[in-house]
Amino acid sequence: MKTASLSTAQAPPISVPLRFFAIAPLFLLLAAWILAWGDDLSNPHSPALLAATHCITLGFMALVMLGAVQQILPVVIGSPMPAQRWVAWFSFLPLIVGTLSLAGGFLLHEPALLNLACWLLGLAFLTFIAASLISLSRATAQNASKNALWLAISALTLAVTLGSLLAHGYANGLPLNYPQLALAHIALALGGWVTMLIVGVSFQVVPMFQLTPNYPKWLSAGLPPALCAALLLFLCSRLLESAPLGYLAEALFWLLAVSFATITLKLQSQRRRRVADATLSFFRLGMISLLLAALFSLLAPFSPELFKMSAVVTFILGFALSVIHGMLYKIIPFLIWFHLFRGGIKKGVPNMKEIIPEAWMWRHLWLHFLTLLAALMTLYWKAAVWLLATGLALQGILLCFAIVTAITVYRRTLTGMEK
Amino acid sequence: MPDLDVCGLPPPEPFEKIMQALQTLPAGATLRVRIPREPFPLYAVLRDTGYAWATTPSAEGNYEILITLRP
Repeated sequence: MKTASLSTAQAPPISVPLRFFAIAPLFLLLAAWILAWGDDLSNPHSPALLAATHCITLGFMALVMLGAVQQILPVVIGSPMPAQRWVAWFSFLPLIVGTLSLAGGFLLHEPALLNLACWLLGLAFLTFIAASLISLSRATAQNASKNALWLAISALTLAVTLGSLLAHGYANGLPLNYPQLALAHIALALGGWVTMLIVGVSFQVVPMFQLTPNYPKWLSAGLPPALCAALLLFLCSRLLESAPLGYLAEALFWLLAVSFATITLKLQSQRRRRVADATLSFFRLGMISLLLAALFSLLAPFSPELFKMSAVVTFILGFALSVIHGMLYKIIPFLIWFHLFRGGIKKGVPNMKEIIPEAWMWRHLWLHFLTLLAALMTLYWKAAVWLLATGLALQGILLCFAIVTAITVYRRTLTGMEK
Repeated sequence: MPDLDVCGLPPPEPFEKIMQALQTLPAGATLRVRIPREPFPLYAVLRDTGYAWATTPSAEGNYEILITLRP
């Protein structure tokens, strides 16, 4: 038999996703620094809060998600991105510099930095979106994840367009309807891109890695288009400035989100191997946070400012970040194993569980949980922002340590073992 | 025909078990694999190492893959 090796035309080089994952935690440190020293954090539109939020959503979340999608496409739909190294560089570097420019532009009130951010982030996302659409259009696989990925990329396209318009308008003093545009941008970025991507990837990753039964077909087939319908309804409500239509769209979105979270938790309770697993616990914390975000949103009429902020914080830190951390701790060890195998290593390939120490994942889980509590406390007690900043900074350091450890294991195995 | 059921195994065990089974597969024989999802990365390995395969989805949502060494 010939030596087994994974085709390079199929899987991107390991450096492609790892460069995104390795830099992303540094933006958690930057967000922590801005939160610790920023002014007027009680105002959701304050420059410091806008800068810190975009360090988390663009610097951390988007970097990880863009890196992960390049790795996930060949595994989930059997169709890699074209020109993978070029796509990686043209999305990676502009995304990093663009996010730094955007945060700097907000903090320093500097229009030139905001304009630069528009160009750089536009280039990063345009490259990624074009490559993703080519990959999706070439894929012959027909599964629910593919449909969700189509919709996630479409939502990202609109979110980036509106985000660029907002930053450009803010920098150049254009007369735009900023509150409505900002709401549409947030809905498309968080409700569309983030939620749809997590949903689509979960359809594959949850049964595969957590050994649960498959998601019911009615959910995997119906949820992505239903989420899309809720978002379109919300966009129409903003265009028509219709409050009742807006409430209806929000209610539909949260109902769908609650269905997804509840069914995921139920499937996880039916998993085949009932052993404690930090990555599973990250995922569970994410789903419970999604339920809490829905509850806060439901309570919003009683105290709109407080509960809407609680919903956003719980969604970003509790749902999105928990799931991203959980996925990272599964994807990175799998990638290391996968690429060592591709390199033709026959002996000494470490067990996936030995690549990143499980004890560090548990410590990170508890730290992340405490950071989420600190973020919610900040809404009631401003001094808690120091706890939030400390938690985010420590998470960035822990994640950096975990990723560097994994890369060290990869390099040591590659150079030290018999081929 | 040798049968291999890798349902209920976490990654990368299905991949490892299939590669082990292929190493001991007699010439001209076909390995039948039952797997819960389409293993796209495996296809690339099979193509590169000279195997032919045919995949059929089953009613319960799994896949059956017949793998044979190409002549």
